[in-house]
Amino acid sequence: MRRGFIGWSKAELPEAVFAGRVKRLRDAMAQAGGGQGLDALVVYTNNTRTAGVSWLTAFVPYWAEGLLVVPKSADPYLTMAFSNRIVGWGKGVSCVAKFEGGAKPGTAAGKYLAELGAKKIGVADLEGLRAAVAQDLADAAPSAEISDATAVFERVRLQPDAAEIALAAKAGAIAQRALALATGKEQVLGEAVAAIDHAARLWGAEEIYMAAAPDLERATHFIRPEGTITPGKRFALRATVAYKGSWVRMTRCFGIAADALATAQTELAAAVAQLPSLDGFRGFPSWSIEGCRLAQPLDVFAAPSMTSPRPILPGALLTAQALIAVDGNKIPIAAPVLTGAAGFPASLLVAPVFA
Amino acid sequence: MLAEDRRKRLRAAMNDAGIEALVVYGNSWQSDYLRYVADFSSIEGHGMAVVSPDGAVELFLDSVAEAERAEAETGGIKVSLAPEIVREVAGRLERIANHRIAAAPLGFMPKYIADKARGYKLEDGTRLVDHLLMVKTAAEIDTLRQAAKLADDGYAVFRQAARPGRKQYELIADIEGFFRQKGCADNFMIMGSGGKDVYAMAPPSDRVIKPGDMVTTELTPAVHGYFAQICRTMVLGKANDAQKRAHALYREAMEAGIAAAKPGATAADVARAENDVFRKHGYGDYATSKYTRVRGHGLGLFVDTKPHILEDVDTVLEAGMVMIVHPNTYHPEVGYMVLGDSIVITPKGADVLTGTPREIFEV
Repeated sequence: MRRGFIGWSKAELPEAVFAGRVKRLRDAMAQAGGGQGLDALVVYTNNTRTAGVSWLTAFVPYWAEGLLVVPKSADPYLTMAFSNRIVGWGKGVSCVAKFEGGAKPGTAAGKYLAELGAKKIGVADLEGLRAAVAQDLADAAPSAEISDATAVFERVRLQPDAAEIALAAKAGAIAQRALALATGKEQVLGEAVAAIDHAARLWGAEEIYMAAAPDLERATHFIRPEGTITPGKRFALRATVAYKGSWVRMTRCFGIAADALATAQTELAAAVAQLPSLDGFRGFPSWSIEGCRLAQPLDVFAAPSMTSPRPILPGALLTAQALIAVDGNKIPIAAPVLTGAAGFPASLLVAPVFA
Repeated sequence: MLAEDRRKRLRAAMNDAGIEALVVYGNSWQSDYLRYVADFSSIEGHGMAVVSPDGAVELFLDSVAEAERAEAETGGIKVSLAPEIVREVAGRLERIANHRIAAAPLGFMPKYIADKARGYKLEDGTRLVDHLLMVKTAAEIDTLRQAAKLADDGYAVFRQAARPGRKQYELIADIEGFFRQKGCADNFMIMGSGGKDVYAMAPPSDRVIKPGDMVTTELTPAVHGYFAQICRTMVLGKANDAQKRAHALYREAMEAGIAAAKPGATAADVARAENDVFRKHGYGDYATSKYTRVRGHGLGLFVDTKPHILEDVDTVLEAGMVMIVHPNTYHPEVGYMVLGDSIVITPKGADVLTGTPREIFEV
């Protein structure tokens, strides 16, 4: 459930940023299909799969689903499944000029494509698109050939620009500052969680999901804190923070000696420095690498149970999580990461260090 | 206890319908089918669950964080991290293709899974699960009573938070902080502030609250995944005569709707009772889709569940259904105004779950 501040910050995301992203996408569209090109590319959005459309328009849906059409030359068009009373809000929080509401985004998008005379239409993650939406799209653009354009969109989306890196750093800073507010002496977990959640939203987070490992001596899994939970002697909190479409995870442990935490941070940084090689992570009891490749803000790229990890590209924006054993402690740790490019090693974008 | 009861009811309903296997879908906006089947409310990514013919439940999640959480939060089911979730679920269904398989909600199935070319056939199991979702057990109603109490308490915090000079999203931060402190994991809320320029509630913006603003909200906290809702309107300062007259209209409409909500009546009857009040006072246009979405809706494991309270919805109300009756709409003299209470249908009629006074608050 989305619960935070949704707004387009023109200072942090000038229109030129979106124009640059659309241009890069159109360049990729032109090269698709062995150079035959696409007439348009369609990206789906909903409450869960926000990060494709928000990256191209700044628009983050609070509840409804919709489709963004990016034609090869005409204006992008966003259609959302909500009433026209809400469209004014949508236009106010996005950079897209052609924005409409209506019951069936697939039908509306298909009509727009038919009006443009688009014949070759690519859809990002066509297999995962809600079947009814896909059918509406096909019905409304009957003369078009609709194909999966996941690879086309992914190639562009995987390369963060300076604006996206800055927003991820800010999301990380919000998470770090908010986690620093917990004292570790709270009698019930809700007190710490409330302080962090409240502060992150006051600082402009569009979302914060709190998770907790309430007693690290018993279990290291993160759960969603609900009800009255008494924290153990050693516990951990994780904040997953979204800021203007960029998502990161950070953790903080309590009740563990400072030198053990410092060792864990050093070990995480050393593993991160080896990316795209995963060898630095393989010695940890558990770990994962996440990032955005299409529309899910934090999609899994690699984890021990994945037989085929996704490729990690130079210059990618990721979140690394690991459980690191130090001096008999199991220390969960997470932070955003920027993988290296042009000969530079990968590094933590925000250090998981707390005062 | 809640999860076990749900599983038993589901198995019985599937047996009655001759359905041998079920596949359900959920995400962070609508996780009710998934929670009912697998006792898991999704926060990130896609979630799907398959109930096999032998009764075993397998939960597929494409988020690594969610898969880890599900391992800890659920019991008696198999959890799988499924980065290519649609292919992995389809593969699971292929292995039971010789059984009767239903999907719920069928309309939410991803294209790859719903593809007619697959080796299995999906029947529409939406109505089967919808009935379970709508008609609650006594334990579910008890949980919703707790959620309604939390909604009342949350509104008291909201009244304190709404002060001139604050931004909308700062109010939301206060409410969410309060709910987390109370151990409430989830809440849905939208709001509005201003006057006749406000046509709807929306997600919180950086609009600054000003003296004289009418401030509206619907709060929807969850307890163990069950959402209850409250809608109220306040004025920053003294309510003027037009605002008081408008509020009296909304209150009359809401109370007419609540009076109409009883077993055997339909959702349309409730909507008509509300809208007739608007029509009687000459505001019938403002009860149409041009100005409002629904006149209420079901509550439970989803904030906006069935039945929608509209004059063209013929769902028959049954004891055990929980819903909000809210004649929320635009009023031409004051702007968008809201008023709504959560109710449970009992054999004798509606029992109101929320207890905040039905007044236009002045702060």
